[in-house]
Amino acid sequence: MPSAAATADALEPTRSLAPAGGLRRAWRQARRRPASAIGAVVVVLFVALALGAPWITSIDPLQTDWKQIRKAPTLAHPFGTDDLGRDNFARVVWGSRISMQAGVFSILLAIAVGVPTGLIAGFYRGGLDQAIMRLTDAWLAFPFLILAIGLVTIMGPSLTNATVAIGLGATPTFIRLTRGLVLAKASEDYVLGARALGAGDLRLMSRHILPNIVSSLLVQATISIPIAVIAEAVLSFLGLGVQPPAPSWGTMLNTAQQFLDTAPWMAWWPGLAIFTLTLSFNLAGDGLRDLLDPRDY
Amino acid sequence: MFDFLVQRAAISVVTLFVISLIVFTGVRMIPGDPARVMAGSEADEAGLEEVRQKYGLGDPIAFQYLRWLGLAGRFDLGESIRTRESVVKIVASKLPITIELAFLSLLVAVGIAIPAGVLAAVRRNTVWDVLTSGASLGGVSIPNFWLGIMLILFFSVRLGWLPASGFVPLWESPLANLQRMLMPAFVLGTALAAVLMRQTRNSMIEVMSADYIRTAYSKGLAGRVVVFRHAIRNSLIPVVTILGLQMGALMSGAVVTEQIFVVPGFGRLIVEAVFTRDYPLVQGVVLITASSYVLINLLVDVSYSLLDPRIRVRGAASDA
Repeated sequence: MPSAAATADALEPTRSLAPAGGLRRAWRQARRRPASAIGAVVVVLFVALALGAPWITSIDPLQTDWKQIRKAPTLAHPFGTDDLGRDNFARVVWGSRISMQAGVFSILLAIAVGVPTGLIAGFYRGGLDQAIMRLTDAWLAFPFLILAIGLVTIMGPSLTNATVAIGLGATPTFIRLTRGLVLAKASEDYVLGARALGAGDLRLMSRHILPNIVSSLLVQATISIPIAVIAEAVLSFLGLGVQPPAPSWGTMLNTAQQFLDTAPWMAWWPGLAIFTLTLSFNLAGDGLRDLLDPRDY
Repeated sequence: MFDFLVQRAAISVVTLFVISLIVFTGVRMIPGDPARVMAGSEADEAGLEEVRQKYGLGDPIAFQYLRWLGLAGRFDLGESIRTRESVVKIVASKLPITIELAFLSLLVAVGIAIPAGVLAAVRRNTVWDVLTSGASLGGVSIPNFWLGIMLILFFSVRLGWLPASGFVPLWESPLANLQRMLMPAFVLGTALAAVLMRQTRNSMIEVMSADYIRTAYSKGLAGRVVVFRHAIRNSLIPVVTILGLQMGALMSGAVVTEQIFVVPGFGRLIVEAVFTRDYPLVQGVVLITASSYVLINLLVDVSYSLLDPRIRVRGAASDA
């Protein structure tokens, strides 16, 4: 079975990336991994939901209505209403903004701090590397949530602080990964060759090493974002993240827990939204990993 | 062998030292007078003075750190602002509850993950494999606090089979205790199981392609004997490391799970401490959690460098 088709696929990345060819290539990949393709589509839908929230629902997610308290799903309120008569559908839609924001920006922060640090540690080795790695070890010893709780205690609860706390919690993973990748690449022939031609440290790092480790970093980012999305929901659920009345899926679940016997729908939708988003991210991430990082996991 | 242990222990000591620095710095970053932070907003001048004396708050910062470290080394992490009890005593009273929860969820995780992982590896690329991978992916993606809420909704609210929350000490009524621990342990256990399942499958696949497995088969041994006698044992070694590394996730998970099911353990303690601005308690819990994580992983590493001589050779070579 591993015939001409498989060989052609293996050679794929070396072909030109003309737009039409790129689309066809993406389509072929999508057909080979339908689950990942669906995951990617759903992630894109969530992005659209987050960006287009005001156009998708005209209802204000903060608008309370005392006549509509804890009403079961109807046509007017497809996800029902909450304990203050707010429309759950609008709150879930607007909640995607907060989740996306926390998930993406926290990981961007982790990359912004972690990648340069790991690059320096792996490139220069020696004492500096040792110091950075010991700090990273210690940082990793704090369980993610405990660290985030500690940071939020110091900084105070808010979306920004939760995002920073989650980002700082994810940073050591990126430092370690980058350092490991740099160690492997720094002794490759093309890097040694560039050095022999007189390339400086900065040029070696930015032009020769970084482009060759970007795909692995991207894969790690797709693994980290869903974890960050859940982390934001957890912090908000505990009351340490987004503060009411802002519609975060975590805070919605916190409120819903008090009304499980009378208004169970309040607990369904925000949780289902988190689950769908993280599952799609993980599915898409699996596909991306196969595409970019041919190592067997 | 001895060198490996010394090296591994030395790294742990350095890590513990850095952890203490991070925690100390963190507490000092809380805005306001450090004496006020440690004594609480209701403390009078005498109480503040006592704290200043104890931690030498008039001294240079390096001395303050050393004094604090010395106290921590003697298990003096200060007093809770709210209850005036010693932090170490409070933690010690809550810890057994969380350890019970962690132990039960480990049982759940191992009970699900190892059979499923082995099955997926042995029946690779069959429907079993797909089902297991799907379950594992779902388990990683489902937020465990939502799973907890859904279980309460179904088993407590709808069916009324299990109490939704609360805690009964094990020694008072083991049955009532287990009834209340069943759902939290399941929630915490499935999250861990999802990770372990993948690891078990991968490591089992690797072992199954090893030469000695082929030898075992060619000796004419039955498939079952090969899997149970030869393969599983060897494939579990990497699974144990992952288990050690997952302790951090287990502790994070316990915080949320205890919050949902109102289990009065370690995790609920830290959340309460944050809300009541009980800084000495937060500091103590964070320090103890991180330190125990380092010590658990040191123990895992050491215990199986004893079991598997290849690790210490390879480990010493790559760490150097």
